[in-house]
Amino acid sequence: MGSALTPFGALAIGCAAVAAGILLQYLIARPPLTATVRMRLLLGLAVFPFVAAVASTGSGMHRTTEREFCGSCHVMETHLSDLEDPKSLGLAARHSRSPIMGPTACYTCHADYGMLGYPMTKLTGMSHVYYYYLGGYRSWSLEKFHAEVRTTRPYPNQNCRQCHSGTLASFTNVKEHVSLAEELEQNRVSCASAGCHGVAHPFSKTAEELSR
Amino acid sequence: MTRAFLRLLARWPIERALRVAAVLGLIALGLMVGGVLAGTPLPVVFSMTLAQGLGVFACLLFGLSIAADVAARRP
Repeated sequence: MGSALTPFGALAIGCAAVAAGILLQYLIARPPLTATVRMRLLLGLAVFPFVAAVASTGSGMHRTTEREFCGSCHVMETHLSDLEDPKSLGLAARHSRSPIMGPTACYTCHADYGMLGYPMTKLTGMSHVYYYYLGGYRSWSLEKFHAEVRTTRPYPNQNCRQCHSGTLASFTNVKEHVSLAEELEQNRVSCASAGCHGVAHPFSKTAEELSR
Repeated sequence: MTRAFLRLLARWPIERALRVAAVLGLIALGLMVGGVLAGTPLPVVFSMTLAQGLGVFACLLFGLSIAADVAARRP
């Protein structure tokens, strides 16, 4: 699953194949430890694996931004299918149809802004992996997940402003934006709420949440 | 400290340690490739954690084995 192999992924596989060849040859032939064998082992145990590790990390970090990666856990199936539905009018689905953010829509919207946004988002993602595999979510039904699981904190409006400027006329000419400027700044009113631009994933909300 | 290290090198099982390092290296490489090919959470997490830990350990075994071999050849 996932997207086509990235250049980093191809490099990792190539280096791993060369290193594996060297190590298998050593294990099968069991040659005496000459200078040539030492040099080969240096390549097979240090140089090529190091490059493979760096490249596979690059590939892995890229993979974790793809929406297929987020949707690979069954509790995210409806989120993914909604994003892929060309007729869906949900806020997230409409954003996913943008060619700029479509393939990485989950990450683009949920990654925090700022210098530490990238590592902090990855750390938060690790807690999702923990809850899924060790916290019981893996055995939950979709209905139970939608009913009981919510984001740990309100969605930050600042994330919307990574793309939607709050200073251009298209924003400041809307009287609701002006009258709610303080609430929006302090995140007391969400851009992604029923009275504004609509919730991002409406299928996962209760009727009460949708009318709020 | 240095003497303890030299004593460790004198008793170091070079051939066996290199074989263990080679096997651990192969496992680490397999996990890395698995993470790249599968692209799902667990393989990717293992590729970036367990695989790299095993790889570093295999590399350390290799380094110690070479040091032990060099020490054994010294007159």
